[in-house]
Amino acid sequence: METRARRRSGSSGIGVRPLALAGKELKTFFTDIQMLFFSLGLPLVLLVLMVASFGGQEQFRATAYVVNLDRGPVGTELLARLENVPGLTVELLDEATAARRLDHSQILSAIVIPPSFTEDVSSGRTPELIVRRRGTGGDEGQIVASYAIGIAREVTGEHLVASEVARALAAMGSPVARDTVDARVTSLLAESRVNPPVVVEEKAVGARIDPVSVYLPGLVTMFTLFALTLSSVAIVEERKKGTLERLMTTRLTRGEMLAGLWLGALGRGLFQILFLFTLAGSIFRLFTLVSLARTLAFAFVAVLSVAGMGLAIAAIARTGEQANWISVFLTMVMTVVGGSFFDMSGARGILAIITRLTYNFWANDGLRRLIVRGGLLSSPAIIKDLAVLAVFGAISWLVALVFFRIRGDAR
Amino acid sequence: MTRVRGARWAGAAAGRGGGTGVLAEVHELRKVYNGTTAVDGVSFGIKKGEIFGLLGPNGAGKTTTIRMMATTLPMTSGDVIIAGHSVHEDPAAVRRHIGVCPQELALYQELSALDNLVFFGLMQGLSRGQARARAMENLELVGLADRARHRVSRFSGGMKRRVNLAIALMSRPDLLFLDEPTVGIDPQSRNHIFTTIEELRDQGMTVLYTTHYMEEADRLCRRVAIMDAGRIVALDTPTNLKARLGDPEKVTLEDVFLQLTGRRLRDEG
Repeated sequence: METRARRRSGSSGIGVRPLALAGKELKTFFTDIQMLFFSLGLPLVLLVLMVASFGGQEQFRATAYVVNLDRGPVGTELLARLENVPGLTVELLDEATAARRLDHSQILSAIVIPPSFTEDVSSGRTPELIVRRRGTGGDEGQIVASYAIGIAREVTGEHLVASEVARALAAMGSPVARDTVDARVTSLLAESRVNPPVVVEEKAVGARIDPVSVYLPGLVTMFTLFALTLSSVAIVEERKKGTLERLMTTRLTRGEMLAGLWLGALGRGLFQILFLFTLAGSIFRLFTLVSLARTLAFAFVAVLSVAGMGLAIAAIARTGEQANWISVFLTMVMTVVGGSFFDMSGARGILAIITRLTYNFWANDGLRRLIVRGGLLSSPAIIKDLAVLAVFGAISWLVALVFFRIRGDAR
Repeated sequence: MTRVRGARWAGAAAGRGGGTGVLAEVHELRKVYNGTTAVDGVSFGIKKGEIFGLLGPNGAGKTTTIRMMATTLPMTSGDVIIAGHSVHEDPAAVRRHIGVCPQELALYQELSALDNLVFFGLMQGLSRGQARARAMENLELVGLADRARHRVSRFSGGMKRRVNLAIALMSRPDLLFLDEPTVGIDPQSRNHIFTTIEELRDQGMTVLYTTHYMEEADRLCRRVAIMDAGRIVALDTPTNLKARLGDPEKVTLEDVFLQLTGRRLRDEG
């Protein structure tokens, strides 16, 4: 009776055993707090850090270091208008401090308003504005100097116009007082600033590149690859402690074991991408439902292709330490060369070939096409990415099938 | 004392194994690793319902013999017949009749004791319900029912050894391989394991037992084979082996062992 029942349940176990093994792998994953943080928490933390460090700063921001030796109203007016430039902060320095900080390269440029600035403007002489800089003054210094020069010309020009109008009226014997002339001229100039004769419109070419959408694919591909390759360490350890060999004394076949381990890795990878894309997408408002579905579909194929990588490494490595180093090395090389954080599509020669031999290059390319450029899964470029990823998956499987060993020692 | 529910072990009741009362037959078994002979023409038989001891110093070839019998290590030559099936020709059929408790703690530390047993039960082809019921029976047998849902990583060495044994019983095997099941544990756990094995023997299970502790073999085994350098140098009941040196009441099995294998230190190699 027992034998018959056992035989019955044994035959129905085909297909169930790989799933049970995959289930055990997932359970182990979800009980390992360190692995969960590494796989899910760390990528999000890094994404936030990278966006905070490199992303989002589209507006110009700079500091104008000014030495104001002029005590008159024109110098004051110049300073006030500089402070009104969006993104520009004015820091007043005395002459000695400015010289010392320039000497020590603490600042790259300083604008000096000479003592005679107001007097020169009032008396009709050409006023002088001094820009002291270290070398070229840097990009920021040159932009600040341009602002200062433009504003100085504007302010002195307005004063000159008012003086000239008053002088002309006086020459004509007009009874209009100088204050009235100044007020009228000032009002006309203010109006011209509000409604300038020439309107300049700035337009960005192409869509705005959101740093989140650039970094997210790189981080997700890197951490998925890392987590899945690191699973090789656990497999090697299992082999070492004899768990895999013990499994082979049950009715589990070698093929079922490989399938179960692969399914477990696939499940982990899928959960990882689902979690990261959905959470990051909702935090940074990256996706519509349709674009999220497209991205997840592509990422699913990417994870399929890389799920066998842990098995392949476990097949090659003899010790857990070896597996660990192979995983770290592969992930780092593929991440850097595969363009996870820098665009490698312009690479030439041997570098171009190496780049295209990495999983990350094709996964990043496809994900960025989908996320950044709003591409479709049916586009030829994305189909090419998917096809290459499928080849990666097949190679991993082949290596695992040929080289995977159950026993941990040579005896 | 805790007893496993149900009938006696299937193998004993079914009467398989060539019809001579022998459940396992080892014929001229050889294993050569890279030119080194680890097992050199070993032959013996294990009768149904007996506890058969396989003794020997480190590197004698005990574990290699067990691994070949348990289908996980290919043999260089010879064969093993278990319950009428050849390990060489039909390992899958042999696996239906065996349970293996390896020397290493081959279990998942991060899972609970119950999850470990259920998982291995599923691997043996049991349904989830069957696996769960049997897991609870086995945990009761090894005295861990109240710790069923505790993580194995929090268990003592002795408790882990008992889980290791309980896993091997999930398939209700006809032949149980116990490879040094009491190594490195406290006397209480060791005694519990002895009691469990004796209970299994009383229910008709056949056991192949390896150990370094001669008093264990003396207490548990009906017959013992002493291996050295890949060969069997003696095979008999403990009493008969002791009688070779003198009065069985005064001579210990360890005396016999040292007499046969020498006093030279052995290291695993």
